[in-house]
Amino acid sequence: MTATQSPPTESRPTPPTGVKRRRALIAITLIVGAAWSVTGIDVTLERLLEAPGDAWDIFKRLWPPAMDEALNRGVIGKVFESVYIAWVGTIIGAVLSLPLAFLAATNVAPRWIRIPVRQLFNAIRAVPELIVAVIFIPITGLGPWAGTLAIGLHSVGTLGKWATEAIEGVDTGPLEAVEATGGRWVSGMRWGVLPQIMPIVASFWLFRFEINVRASAVLGMIGAGGVGAELVSQLIFRNFPAVGAVLGITVLVVLTIDTMSAAMRRRIIAGAARTSGPDLDADRNAEALANLTGFRR
Amino acid sequence: MSDGETARPVRPRPRLRTLGIAAGLLAFTVFAANEVGFDASTSWEMWSNPLWEKFWPIPWDWVLDRSNVLDPLVETFQIAILATIIGCGLALPISFAMSRLTAPNRPVYLVSRSVMNVVRAVPDLFWAKLLVTAVGIGAFAGTWALSVFSLAVMVKLFSETVDNADPRPLEAARASGSRYLPAVRTGVLPTVLPEYVAYALYVFELNIRASIVLGLVGAGGVGRVLEAQRQFFRFDRVLGMLIIVFVVVFVIEQVSVALRKRLV
Amino acid sequence: MIRFDDVSVTYRGGVQALRGLDLTIEDGEFVVIVGLSGAGKSTLLRALNGLVPATGGSITVDGAEVVGASATELRALRSQIGMIFQTFNLVNRTSVLNNVLMGRLGSVPAWRSTLGLWPADDRERAMQALERVGIVEKAYVRASNLSGGQQQRVGIARALVQEPSVMLADEPVASLDPVTSRQVMGDLRRINRDLGITTIVNLHYLDLAREFGNRLIGLRDGELVFDGDIADVDDDTFMEIYGRAISDDDLVGTEDDLT
Repeated sequence: MTATQSPPTESRPTPPTGVKRRRALIAITLIVGAAWSVTGIDVTLERLLEAPGDAWDIFKRLWPPAMDEALNRGVIGKVFESVYIAWVGTIIGAVLSLPLAFLAATNVAPRWIRIPVRQLFNAIRAVPELIVAVIFIPITGLGPWAGTLAIGLHSVGTLGKWATEAIEGVDTGPLEAVEATGGRWVSGMRWGVLPQIMPIVASFWLFRFEINVRASAVLGMIGAGGVGAELVSQLIFRNFPAVGAVLGITVLVVLTIDTMSAAMRRRIIAGAARTSGPDLDADRNAEALANLTGFRR
Repeated sequence: MSDGETARPVRPRPRLRTLGIAAGLLAFTVFAANEVGFDASTSWEMWSNPLWEKFWPIPWDWVLDRSNVLDPLVETFQIAILATIIGCGLALPISFAMSRLTAPNRPVYLVSRSVMNVVRAVPDLFWAKLLVTAVGIGAFAGTWALSVFSLAVMVKLFSETVDNADPRPLEAARASGSRYLPAVRTGVLPTVLPEYVAYALYVFELNIRASIVLGLVGAGGVGRVLEAQRQFFRFDRVLGMLIIVFVVVFVIEQVSVALRKRLV
Repeated sequence: MIRFDDVSVTYRGGVQALRGLDLTIEDGEFVVIVGLSGAGKSTLLRALNGLVPATGGSITVDGAEVVGASATELRALRSQIGMIFQTFNLVNRTSVLNNVLMGRLGSVPAWRSTLGLWPADDRERAMQALERVGIVEKAYVRASNLSGGQQQRVGIARALVQEPSVMLADEPVASLDPVTSRQVMGDLRRINRDLGITTIVNLHYLDLAREFGNRLIGLRDGELVFDGDIADVDDDTFMEIYGRAISDDDLVGTEDDLT
């Protein structure tokens, strides 16, 4: 067959127009959205150009951080207070969310209780910790307990949702075995479901703890205990080296906790993988990520 | 089947290490609970506190007045939109820079990873407060702060995707002698684009919620009004605002979730 | 005594898994049920202990009616019926002993079993059950660390510890190799002889049915098409039950076939 012979007249396919049109639509939406947003915000070209400079100016003044001053003022203690708030808050959230999650899972709970509990989780998740704290503070007064309650309550929502999804992913075989021996529903949960979900649930608890440490630092800014209040007061006095110190210590503690927690989570999941089968690591990570974002392939 | 009697095994004692860890965690919990002033009994007092009455009745006329709630809410959304665009926009090149698969060279890889780790370790609202001090109160600071936050979240999610992407198209592009940028653009970008968009939508949802609280530190939007009313103890207005805000947020999130489903 | 009286089971999708089944099994019998996948073998077993609700007819076990029984009645019934599964259905992350103790869930108060505070006699029963199946030395080993055959014996021990009057085995050896399959079937046979527990076994493999069965029941499309002595089974009977001639897939084979 010679290369010069042209193929019989068969029209060439045209590229699908849908893709191009969709891309254009997305691009236009973004541009319009951005433009509209910009008009609403108090932005002038002047501000826009000045802003990076102003910000850089402030950032420069954070260094060198006034560490000795910070130590005197007990900043480290305050950062640890944030950690305690996050810890106790996460535990409260974990303890409350796990039993509720059993009531919210499609494979183990009947409809009439499942739906209200799921809605409860969604409602709680929708309210940021800061808002919960705003509501609690007038009642409990300022201080770390308000922050702990806020974090604990909000965590019930996220931890509950993640636990529910873990429960819905279990192998129902052991559950059937419990049923066949004449065990009650509670026993089914305790022996048929709980052992299977404990590794992933424990790693969720640790992950939530990492997030909660940051949240509790922030809560301090409205007086709910922890290091946030320090940051605010130093900023008000424009004592930037002190601000730098607060930031530095906070970052250090957060990074340390993140690293330790990540290591523990890896060990827990690896331990579970040893008993359950090959390549569970990647699957579990993908699963956890999917749980986090609700995005599943 | 065994012939004689096999001796029954003895129950193994729990390993000292596991016992130690459990005891340590328990001790830490008790200690921390004490430090934060854990007090289950005050919870009962809490519920009968007369301050609850300040939350009711809700002054709907004030709440539904455009300038009080709806306009600031619009500003909140604008902050969220811009912050998502800026943050996710920057996240794209940065994720590529800090991914083992697509990093152009080792120094860039290391620097971008370290910087991002530190950025992520700073609580989001700390950024907001800093920027408010730097560039002044208002939505401008809020937008920047939220952009940084969006960048951090997006980079964390997206760089994992890039790390796990199929390396073969990139190899092929590199093998044919392509330079760095075109290679990444044709070899990796198409594969990861759907996830990028889905994550961006998720970040947008997060930002809607985050921009509400930004205002609590003075960074504009509905949060500023919330904080102001809170400081005046007008909790009834606070509650009214929160209800409106959450209804609107709920609607937006349903739309976003539906959009994300269509993408995948 | 177990009695099926015109029993039908129709699943929610409309699939009719059992039609008009009449069957009587006396105490202490060892019954093997064969048939194609989907012929209703699993459904028959699960209808017996109520895991699958029968949609018509009546099933009585020692005089107790299963169809329409309340939740409490079902639980009492099930604690008298032991069941072992093709996929073993063990709790992987816990010890063999704990798995066996789960058989007592029908009799131990829920709060005790949930906290793991099993009574001493139940622990004794569990150990004895493990001794009977010959793996007591593995009592504190994590269940997932056992081989397939050993795991199934844990399953048998779990059923035994219930001190049941009936033992149901749903394709107990389908996941096992020929040698282990024979060991497990041998255990079931021995338990039936020594303890007099009525045993009903679903089997896929014809040669195993011939080796270990007394009474053979053939199901086809949810209907009982054969009920008789294993010695009376020939190729024609087989054709009746399976609708086709025997193939290699229907035989578990011997060690030599494992190449």
